[in-house]
Amino acid sequence: MKKAERAAIYGTGRAYWHRLKMDLIGHKWLYLMLLPGLIYFIIFKYLPMWGVVISFQNFVPFSGVFGSQWVGLKWFRYFFSNPSWTRYLANTLLLSVMNLVFYFPAPIILALLLNEMKHARYKKLMQTLLYVPHFISIVIVVSITYVIFGSSGIIYKLTQQLLGTEIKYLTDPKLFRWMIIGQSIWKETGWGTIIFLAALTNVDVQLYEAAMVDGANRFQRLWHITLPAIRSTIVLMLVLRMGSVLDTGHDHLILMANSLNRSVSQTLDVFVYQQGLQSGQYSYATAIGLLKSVVSLILIVSSNKVAHMLGEDGLY
Amino acid sequence: MRKLLALVLAMLALVAMMSFAVAEEPLTLTVMLPDFYTDVDFETENNPVLDAIEAASGVRLDIQWVANSSYGDMTSLTLADPDNMPMLMVATGARDPIIVNSARAGAFWDITDYIKDYPNLAAGSEGIYNNISVDGRLYGIYRSRAQARGGIYYRKDIAAQMGITEEPKTIEELTALAKALSDYSDDTYALNMVKYVAGTIGIITVAHGAPFNWGVNAEGQIYPAHQDPAFLEGLNWLRSLYAEGGINPDFMTIESGEWDSIERTGKAFMRFDCMDNCYRQQEWFEKNEGVTEEIWAMVPAVAAADGNMYMWPQNAGYSGEIVITKAVKDEETLKKVLAFLDWTNSAEGQTLINWGVDGETFWIREDGFRYTNPADDVDMSLQVQTLQHSLNQLGTNVTGDLTPAMKLTTLREEYNSYQKSMMEYIVNDPCHPLTSETYNSFGTTLSQMLEDAHVQYIAGIINEDELRAVWQAWSDEGGAMMTMEYNEAYQASIAK
Repeated sequence: MKKAERAAIYGTGRAYWHRLKMDLIGHKWLYLMLLPGLIYFIIFKYLPMWGVVISFQNFVPFSGVFGSQWVGLKWFRYFFSNPSWTRYLANTLLLSVMNLVFYFPAPIILALLLNEMKHARYKKLMQTLLYVPHFISIVIVVSITYVIFGSSGIIYKLTQQLLGTEIKYLTDPKLFRWMIIGQSIWKETGWGTIIFLAALTNVDVQLYEAAMVDGANRFQRLWHITLPAIRSTIVLMLVLRMGSVLDTGHDHLILMANSLNRSVSQTLDVFVYQQGLQSGQYSYATAIGLLKSVVSLILIVSSNKVAHMLGEDGLY
Repeated sequence: MRKLLALVLAMLALVAMMSFAVAEEPLTLTVMLPDFYTDVDFETENNPVLDAIEAASGVRLDIQWVANSSYGDMTSLTLADPDNMPMLMVATGARDPIIVNSARAGAFWDITDYIKDYPNLAAGSEGIYNNISVDGRLYGIYRSRAQARGGIYYRKDIAAQMGITEEPKTIEELTALAKALSDYSDDTYALNMVKYVAGTIGIITVAHGAPFNWGVNAEGQIYPAHQDPAFLEGLNWLRSLYAEGGINPDFMTIESGEWDSIERTGKAFMRFDCMDNCYRQQEWFEKNEGVTEEIWAMVPAVAAADGNMYMWPQNAGYSGEIVITKAVKDEETLKKVLAFLDWTNSAEGQTLINWGVDGETFWIREDGFRYTNPADDVDMSLQVQTLQHSLNQLGTNVTGDLTPAMKLTTLREEYNSYQKSMMEYIVNDPCHPLTSETYNSFGTTLSQMLEDAHVQYIAGIINEDELRAVWQAWSDEGGAMMTMEYNEAYQASIAK
């Protein structure tokens, strides 16, 4: 909203503050209900943000935030002087792009498929079964992968028999990202359908009936009615996703990493974990975390802009 | 009458107060220790072990147990809150940046000048005290550990079936043994290797004559172990065994938790690791497989090409240290705390801290040996864990083991004997007591880089030229800097 527009609606100067006061008094119960949420965000989200100050210090827990030595941009220089930082960034981005291309559309497609199901009870059963993997810990998912893809595992033996070559699923760096994406899809696709299925229930049934009268086939109905109806949800999810492009998580990757695929499994998150928790370099890890946050902020703001340009509501 | 009664009562109260003031309050010592039995509650009231410690040392322990798995995180949280630190705490890594930095920032008492006044503490090894010192000053008492633990152990029954009845004495005989075990069957492997490779690579490279982590060359300069030709020989040993099918091709994906079960299911017959696993495996086979003969054998070291024996040090003589924090406010209290630590190294203190009270948490049976239960068919582990818990974590044992002996099997006895007889062959890391800024910042990443390349070389993924390229990259990305820093610190320390 432009400044002039806002002034036209709410007035300027004293008039604005007067209106705000009247509004606060008039809707005092609504504002009171907002308070707990506001307090939560201040205490748990905004106050801890001051912790980023340690990324400019040589932080020693015993000396505390106020007693630690101020080193300015030392840790940022340290990070960029490490010849491997481009590799960490490339690994992070590649994994994220693959996530976006292969993992992001999966729940949408699955939700559309579920939506087309005629038999209501069978659909319910399928939904429930599809949610199950979400509740399995990633540690278990990785262990299962090791059992079936390892050199005595069923899939390894199967491909060995069929193709005549040994495919090293667990150690080949070329296959590493596919394994990660595959596991993510297996685990989270079913759960991810929830939000799209909810959006799909809002589609007016009369639209389908009218389209059927006009002679639209199933695919045409899907393309012209269903997809446009959930488009804003998809864009919203995509914008949110953009904010976490640099978040690869570390637990899943560390579990799947080994000495032969380290060149592709080292992402920024894994590096932060190694430096911060394993080596106790809190300042260094915080500095890299801060860099990541800045990039994420830029991405989320610009992708929201793009969404607006395309005529969508976007995130805000 | 009433006045008289009031007077008497007042007098009595006064006397009572005075008597309290006269009797010395026992010192209550707050302690933070790693907890290995998180599913059992520690008994704080009416605990005969705590009572016995108080009676013998005049110190009441107030223990804060922290699950061992999260002890590292808890260490930094504790040090971030100086007002609520415990007076004594275990620092599990004496050379971790968090401990070194906190010591420099003044979180712990510098006990360098006090230690000589406490005979038991002063009896500890000067070399190990040096290993845990920061900038030449001592901030803690090390928790003593046997160094000569790592070696070779293997299934001697399988070896005998393959025609080898003698224990290997040289690298060549070890190669022959590995070859024989490898030929046993197509489904089994000779050497048991997993994701954790530091021990295996360390043992075989040191056995070939390479230094451990860092070496000192003929000019007295520090150099990284992998620059020693013997290191590559050690790697080649593993590489050719891998190529012959003597090692599980997927070893780098196997979690360390699987290590024991691979031997128990008969998938592999030899391992380079702590030799206490040898007698544990023997005892497991006796209990679960009905084995009656000795089927496992241990070899602490074999002779390298130059005819000398070199032994990999499992540790630097200690596992963490006990530090006295600044929660101890004055020198007078510090002396009491040091006196307590001194007492824990006496025979009485060691027994109470490590094993507890006879008849409650350990039992001396008629044969005079110490047992964990009063009779073979009684399970007292719950009572032991409730009363004793992980109190042994407080044990520093710098005076050696002075506690009542257990009855030993032949393998356990053999293992114990090596801890003294093999000490002269231990190869120590000259840089252990030294600090390097680059190591503190990039150490983890740099070591990872080397380890990955070594695993790839063993698995035949990269050749020698590519391995040398990684060594060069290691040097460029901070390895050379680290070598220089260690060298400077080393030259300064020997000049002293």
